[in-house]
Amino acid sequence: MPELPAVSRRLLLGGALATGAAAAGVGAAQAAPAAGAAAAGGGDAPLPVHTPPRRRGQRSMIDVPFDVHGTVRVGMIGLGNRGSGMAEGWAAVPGCRVTAVCDIRADRATSVANRLVALGKPRPAEYGGSADAYAQMLKRDDIDLVYIATPWEFHHRQGKAALEAGKHAIVELPIATELDELWDLVDTSERTRRHLMLSENCSYGRNELAMLKMAHDGLFGDVTNGHGGYLHDLRELLFSDTYYTDSWRRLWHTRSTASFYPMHGLAPIAAAMDINRGDRMTVLRATATEPKGLADYRERFIDRSHPSWKETYVNGDLVTCLIDTAMGRVIRAEHDVSSPRPYSRINSLAGSRGIFEDYAGTSATGGRIYVEPDHSGHSWRDFDSYRKEFDHWLWKKIGDDAENNGGHGGMDYILQWRTVQAMRAGLVPDIDVYDSAAWCAPVPLSVKSLAAGGRPVAYPDFTRGSWVNLRMGLDSRESDMPPVA
Amino acid sequence: MSVSRWLRPLGPLRAVRAVAVAASLALVAAPAASAAEPPADPAAARTEVTVPPVDLDGPAITTVTVRVKNAGPQRMRSLKVTFAGPVGWAVQPSVTAVSGSLGVGDSARAEFRIRVPEKRPGFALRTFTATATYSGGDGAGAATGTRTEVVGSPLPDLAAAYDNVGVTDESDTAPGDYDGDGNSFSAQKLAAVGLTPGTTVRALGAELAWPDAEPGTPGNVSSAGQAITLNGQGSRLVFLGSGVGSAATGTATVHYTDGTSSRGQFGFPNWSFDPADLHGATLVASADGRNRPDGYGNAGIAYRIFAHSVPLDASKQVAFVVLPSNGNVHVFAMAVAP
Repeated sequence: MPELPAVSRRLLLGGALATGAAAAGVGAAQAAPAAGAAAAGGGDAPLPVHTPPRRRGQRSMIDVPFDVHGTVRVGMIGLGNRGSGMAEGWAAVPGCRVTAVCDIRADRATSVANRLVALGKPRPAEYGGSADAYAQMLKRDDIDLVYIATPWEFHHRQGKAALEAGKHAIVELPIATELDELWDLVDTSERTRRHLMLSENCSYGRNELAMLKMAHDGLFGDVTNGHGGYLHDLRELLFSDTYYTDSWRRLWHTRSTASFYPMHGLAPIAAAMDINRGDRMTVLRATATEPKGLADYRERFIDRSHPSWKETYVNGDLVTCLIDTAMGRVIRAEHDVSSPRPYSRINSLAGSRGIFEDYAGTSATGGRIYVEPDHSGHSWRDFDSYRKEFDHWLWKKIGDDAENNGGHGGMDYILQWRTVQAMRAGLVPDIDVYDSAAWCAPVPLSVKSLAAGGRPVAYPDFTRGSWVNLRMGLDSRESDMPPVA
Repeated sequence: MSVSRWLRPLGPLRAVRAVAVAASLALVAAPAASAAEPPADPAAARTEVTVPPVDLDGPAITTVTVRVKNAGPQRMRSLKVTFAGPVGWAVQPSVTAVSGSLGVGDSARAEFRIRVPEKRPGFALRTFTATATYSGGDGAGAATGTRTEVVGSPLPDLAAAYDNVGVTDESDTAPGDYDGDGNSFSAQKLAAVGLTPGTTVRALGAELAWPDAEPGTPGNVSSAGQAITLNGQGSRLVFLGSGVGSAATGTATVHYTDGTSSRGQFGFPNWSFDPADLHGATLVASADGRNRPDGYGNAGIAYRIFAHSVPLDASKQVAFVVLPSNGNVHVFAMAVAP
């Protein structure tokens, strides 16, 4: 990707002094180029991004259904906390079988295989012991879907390798951390005709799906804004010597300034706004607080002999992205994993007729609502009756199974069940590579914006123009899981 | 009459930076079914904008083909068509423009796609509106067509919609919550001015039945767009009620048995503090004081019931009424006045 020279915040925002510097150093300071123009002048113009042309033989994967798979055979890469925790869920979905498991630590592969056998499932093939063990696994011809749950820095290469091996891929967050990598996954999906999707369990959250259906019903009127995020006090886990293998997640905080992981809150808001299905995100600007939380935690709770004392944390505790959409909406996506606070993904959606807020109020659902004409008098109402009325068919159909079979309140199993169902029934996936890339783009875009003092950055259109078309997505029509022979 | 013509497919729409969408948005002239029809009277002819039935079996992306007929005496040029469904329902495109022109009697079709949500239980009216703007034709410059799809059945009567406890006995005021703060009318004080359960109230030419509800039970409707079955024919539809908060106003829509509808605005003063003729209302009864959560109180202050009405098309039979979408409007009864 072409990188623009960093422009200091003072240069962008300053008065007379900065003008001369801008004219000399950057050029076109007085001109206000249109969004997406190449020049880097003008404080209001978003920094442009490059949209690579579609290469020969590449075609859109929008609305491309899966081929029908009688059985979905899953290969798993990465068997740490997240990966191993998903194994039972995959194995529990009707018509799904885990055929191979892989981790650089071979004992983890054996452990997961043993667990599956103990559940009465066929023993999966085991791969491990080296960094390229996954590549060996991908040579198998009994894998249809590759589930990737390794540290972030491996997602792009492993996801791409899965596609190139002829498999579909479902990748934990984020699918990649750089813009060129995101484009590469889009292009590889289009070239190989294989789907790659973000393993965004929160897209299948019960409140999130009800919020989506309420938006489509018009309960909020014209949706004007939404807020989501990942606000999760991970300090204890980040400093754990065992939870994140080799402390990979803490180390990201020593080397990058970015919104690392806003997707859990951003994706449901993007769905409710029909991003890539009639709207698209056009501009992002980011702010970051000072990095205080991790150093303060270390000071209070971590022994001086711990290796973390050699580290310097650079990422702001609260990184906020404000994202404009083509239809004039605004999304606020937040990320904070290093401050003391109760968990929240925010999940707030508002429009001309009302508002929904999650993680607030006293309802058993965790949500509260205020929509005209149902409500008046400036007081919140419990979300309970609305969630019941707008409950997504997936939760009505398999909600009980989900809560018995998977983590995160059942979202994981719903995601797994629906993914397998789409492959077995030959459906279009609810989440495609374009959604996945768009939801993960705040990671590199926030880097660019923060490096430029919070300047707006143009948002890539991974659909290459097809976002204007209304199409179905997570608000899907009910259908059955094909019977297992 | 001119023969039918096929307009060339539209390019990307100006309002949307369309790239891949153009192929699905072709706008073509309709076959000249009109060629066999007698010539329209130019003086009376108006541009016809027709919205077809909309498939509401969602969730789905549904295609709607709007038809615009140039019934005026002039060739129609610069035709643009917009289409909108219920608020919040995404439509693609927001506007479509016809290049070329339409001869007298010719029709054009404009295709739109709309995101239709899953059907919900209960009653809903889904209104779709297409607007054409143009030069020439009938000279009016703009024409509109609407279609209202009725989903589900209206409630059988107003009592079925009672959702608010507005009257309580002075010996048990706790169930009341007329105003959102736990206050309610006193059954005793209403009886003192003639309002007992089931009694007939004459107001604005109508005979209305005061709710036959025991004190402490739901006996009025906080208006939220509920559809209520009502049979009758007359000049006005009369409502009995009062407001809470401020701005207890809204629009009632009356649907007739022939499928048409009419709308009328009305409002009630606040049950206590507004002038009694606010919004054009008529005072019907004043109760002395009110019941508060801890018992009867506010003696000396009037808590009131009003009447107001909206006009009806007296030539038609009323089928059902859709109450205003404003929870501050509390309705106790409604009836048709001759």
